[in-house]
Amino acid sequence: MSVLVVVERQPGAVDELSLQAVTFARALADGAPVHALVVGAHADSVTPTLGEHGVTTVHVAEDEVFASYAPLAVARATAELAGRLRATAVVAAGSERGNEVLAHLGALLDLPLAANCVEATSGDPARVTRLRWGGSLLEEADLHGDVKLLTVAPHAVSATHAPVADTSVERFAPQLSDADRVIRVSARTQAATGGVSLAEAKVVVSSGRGAGSAEGFGIIEELAGLLGGAVGCSRAVTMAGWRPHTDQVGQTGTKIAPDLYIACGISGATQHMAGCKGAKAILAVNTDPDAPILASADYAVIGDLHEVVPAISAELRKARGA
Amino acid sequence: MNVLVCVKRVPLTGGRIVLTDDAQAIATQHLGFTISPHEECGVEEAVRLVEQSGGESVVLTLGPAEAEEQLRDAMALGIDRAIHLVSGGDEWDPQGTAAAIVETIEAERAAGVEYDLIVFGNESADAGGYQVGIRVAHALGLPVATGLKGVVVSDGSVRCEQEVPGGRDVFVLPLPAVVTVKEGLNFPRYPSVPGRMRAQRKPVAVRSPDAVSPRLAKVRLVSPPGQKKEAEILGHGPEAAPRVIEVLQKIGVA
Amino acid sequence: MPVSALALATVAAVALTLFARRALLVLRLVRMGAPLPRFDDLPKRVENETTIVLGQKKLLQRVVPGLMHAFIFWGFVVLFPTILIAAIYVIDREPGLPAASPLGWIEGQGWFALLVDLFCLLVLVGIAAAFWIRKVQRPNRFQGSHLGEADLILVLITGIVSTLLLWHASQIALGLNEWGADWSPLSNALSGLFGDGTATEALERALVWAHVLIILSFLVYLPYSKHLHITTAAPNVFFGRTRAKGRLEPLDFEAADDELRFGAGTVPELTWKGILDTMSCTECGRCQDVCPAWATGKALSPKLLIMNLRDHVFAEGPKILADESFEPTPLVPNAVTDEVVWDCVTCGACVQECPVSIEHVDHIVDLRRHLVMVESRFPAEAESMLRDVERSGNPWGKPQDERAAWAEGLGVRVLQPGSRPPEVLYWVGCAASFDERARLSAESTVKLLLAARVDVAILGPRESCTGDPARRMGNEYVFQSFAKQNVATLDEAGVTKIVASCPHCFNTLANEYPDFGGRYEVVHHTEFLADLVARRRLRPVATDKTITYHDSCYLARHNDVLAAPRELVAAVGQPVEMERSGTRTFCCGAGGAHMWMEERGSAINEERVREAAETGAGTLAVACPFCTIMLDDGVRQTGRDLRVADVSTLLVEALERSD
Repeated sequence: MSVLVVVERQPGAVDELSLQAVTFARALADGAPVHALVVGAHADSVTPTLGEHGVTTVHVAEDEVFASYAPLAVARATAELAGRLRATAVVAAGSERGNEVLAHLGALLDLPLAANCVEATSGDPARVTRLRWGGSLLEEADLHGDVKLLTVAPHAVSATHAPVADTSVERFAPQLSDADRVIRVSARTQAATGGVSLAEAKVVVSSGRGAGSAEGFGIIEELAGLLGGAVGCSRAVTMAGWRPHTDQVGQTGTKIAPDLYIACGISGATQHMAGCKGAKAILAVNTDPDAPILASADYAVIGDLHEVVPAISAELRKARGA
Repeated sequence: MNVLVCVKRVPLTGGRIVLTDDAQAIATQHLGFTISPHEECGVEEAVRLVEQSGGESVVLTLGPAEAEEQLRDAMALGIDRAIHLVSGGDEWDPQGTAAAIVETIEAERAAGVEYDLIVFGNESADAGGYQVGIRVAHALGLPVATGLKGVVVSDGSVRCEQEVPGGRDVFVLPLPAVVTVKEGLNFPRYPSVPGRMRAQRKPVAVRSPDAVSPRLAKVRLVSPPGQKKEAEILGHGPEAAPRVIEVLQKIGVA
Repeated sequence: MPVSALALATVAAVALTLFARRALLVLRLVRMGAPLPRFDDLPKRVENETTIVLGQKKLLQRVVPGLMHAFIFWGFVVLFPTILIAAIYVIDREPGLPAASPLGWIEGQGWFALLVDLFCLLVLVGIAAAFWIRKVQRPNRFQGSHLGEADLILVLITGIVSTLLLWHASQIALGLNEWGADWSPLSNALSGLFGDGTATEALERALVWAHVLIILSFLVYLPYSKHLHITTAAPNVFFGRTRAKGRLEPLDFEAADDELRFGAGTVPELTWKGILDTMSCTECGRCQDVCPAWATGKALSPKLLIMNLRDHVFAEGPKILADESFEPTPLVPNAVTDEVVWDCVTCGACVQECPVSIEHVDHIVDLRRHLVMVESRFPAEAESMLRDVERSGNPWGKPQDERAAWAEGLGVRVLQPGSRPPEVLYWVGCAASFDERARLSAESTVKLLLAARVDVAILGPRESCTGDPARRMGNEYVFQSFAKQNVATLDEAGVTKIVASCPHCFNTLANEYPDFGGRYEVVHHTEFLADLVARRRLRPVATDKTITYHDSCYLARHNDVLAAPRELVAAVGQPVEMERSGTRTFCCGAGGAHMWMEERGSAINEERVREAAETGAGTLAVACPFCTIMLDDGVRQTGRDLRVADVSTLLVEALERSD
């Protein structure tokens, strides 16, 4: 019995969500060994980090196709490895790519996949609790299959250490057909805007229709700029054409996880909250003391954002002695 | 070119989600319904592609009888015809859904209709399975790219743009192919009334696929814990600004 | 045949032919328009014709220009027989009309001669007034009008009347008058200018010819200028709306394909009444004067809207009539820009002012219908509202199951399917259900109704939007599906009487739902509450606080509900009126679906708030949730010290005082 984790990495480091997935996999494995699969060049530079989090063996799949992201090829390599290891479960982070790779895996192995799990107990079937509606609702389900495939909802668990002595590294060249290589990234285009990326910002300040117009976002941009953060908006704002879709925070927009989310004139519809529940703290600015967002916010100011937001910016400048 | 777009009927929830007494579903008695948001952009894209290059666009859904509303909405935007796979009313799991869709596409093939592009939403707003499009692609032996904000078809291939932090990754796939798209791909048009009226008369082919035992089987739905916070009111109007600064400093962002 | 007869016949034939050709074109252009049922309600139409045309009622809304025009108009009516008489006298200086014939009889009547003199004088006074208004006073409403045309007509009319007077004077001088000269003091006095010799004889001929020729040139000029209104205004008034002012006329989506109309995209898609409207415009500019959009610097002027449509009708209409294959160009943007179409708040001030019953709001809505339903071309920020209202059942896009959340704890009955019908159904409206400022008036109203022990209930989640915002935006299709659905719900619930707080709901329920089978007794909450106060079932205690009441357009102008809210205000405080009040009220800016659209230019609501503050009142009372929101926003934006509150909330406070 062993659990295989498909690990995503950024150049030189393991992605935080993958470390959470490893932690989750450890609990699921309940003592059995946890293996990790990594693809791409210099893969073994991540071995120390993985070992700290409880991985006994890091498997490195080597092939030229892995020079760029190739989800089907990764899935094929995973299938081969999982078979060889007789893994009882394969786990990945519930990121866009984690879900994609495991969906390919499920299709290759004709096995069900439970995406974005927050809890899982082994068994046959396994009982999982997974996200619906971007996290506004949970589903308890029975997951069948000889190998349990699941992805871990971002921030469902925190990554914790459980160091393993002597994490070994094994390389292998997976058997890939031509068809397996077709789906791969052939180019990357850079985003037009500079500035802080919404998904990575530590502070996000956003507004809904209450801003009144595209120009109304001026005060939001001002505050975001002062805090070194990014500007977000609700779906109504993108539909009105006031801001681009890349600024949209929500279930079908960008999911954010800042230290602070300042939501101005946003009522708190579930599809919006699904995009910002990763925020460590939420401050709501709203004229309506009964708005749903106040049930999800840590702090609130009852008032008109056109008065409150400039006041906060002014107070901030004062506090900095400007 | 022939384009098939698959959609799902989902409810429009508001500030909170209320469950039925048996916790099997959302209480939808007074809720409106829509095509899941990513898929709305898929429908728009299908209409545009056929407008540009000729051919036929088809919309398909696996859902209850009421889902015909979503099919008519899609046809009001310009989709030529619809296929309604009538499910019992219970939601099907991703593998079951994919199998029913594959069966239908193979039946269409047998009838001489070949799809150049099959469009899915990246994930449905409610179930969020992230896998139906990929499973269908595998079963049909087609390549698939997911999470797309850009789709450009030319000369037997499709250029797919997937949004990543800092930019977009590009996949080029040969046609026929499957794509799963995200909201932001385009701005769906507002349907014209003549379009809606024509849609009432467009053909909907009805099939009743056999349900199979789900391998990801819902047991029950649960509201997430910790929903009811009590937000600390820092003040009213601009006078609250100093208290806000205190909080910002405490959090460490000021 | 005498030369004079031949000459007259020739000139008249030419003039009448030119007139008739143009008149025929005008008629054909009107008939090119789409059908509209305005052939019912005959008694009301006759009444309108009598009061508005004969009685000049709408013109007299502004006294000085009204009288100016009334004198000239009544002058034309009274002097009409003199035109016929002059035509005969042109042929023969002494025709010897038989006293039994109508003309022969009237030319001998002294009282008629007196009237003629009097009205000639009044016409001249009117002309003088007209010139004074146009040349000295120079009001802004003429901005954009063809002033040269008006000057020419005034000169021609002066010519007609002065030649008539002088001709009569010369007749008296020659002893040719058939009436007693003492009966016509002015002509009599003028006759002193003439001798009785050959010079006068020549002048008498010259004057009657001049009179007739000026009339004939007037006749020819008439249909080629804005004075076409002389012929078109009377029918335009006759065919004006006779039913509720706030009711828009429905489109028939079940019509046969070739009769299907989705509003006005091109000239032939305008209704025949719409085309007649454009032909009736006198360019007086009164509509422009009262338009809140124009007053706040926007592109829309109702006058220019109608003039531009008229020009487009005349530019393309004849081509369409001549050649079946001619492709008419779109009205928007060729005749009217998108901006103009969307600037309108459908307040109806223009329609109220128009002396010739032009229905500008109908034009705007018809243009919007085509833009929204066929071209999907409308302000992007309104798109979410249209999608939300259709999918979620309300323009806020909030789930309907939260609709009765505001009523929790108030103890009002929520009707379930199969419940006993209430005596009165309180129709809450989407604004009060979902907006925290509008909610107050619903809470207050319910408290008052329950305190007065009225058997009242609400529909709760089964109450969906009446469809007013969709209809005003031009999406008639979506509106009709709401109307049918709501009528079914109301009928199934056994509702017979409805109280509504929102004037837009009130207007739609009362005036527009009957077209879809919904017939209920509908009253506005102020009317119901005023009645309760009058019958002492509610006993408020007034304070000395000054309150100014803002009339909601959909209440005051579209529905004439003026007295009831004022009774309530007087019962709770010291009322003071704004200048633009009653049916002359100035819009808050939210109508015509503008609650959901951005505003360009300076704000209509701020303008109204300024006016309210100038009264010195501390409270601005309203009776509409949109007015509440817009005016409260206006107060905040301008930082004024004014409290905006619904009349029902003020009434609750007045009752609490008495406890």
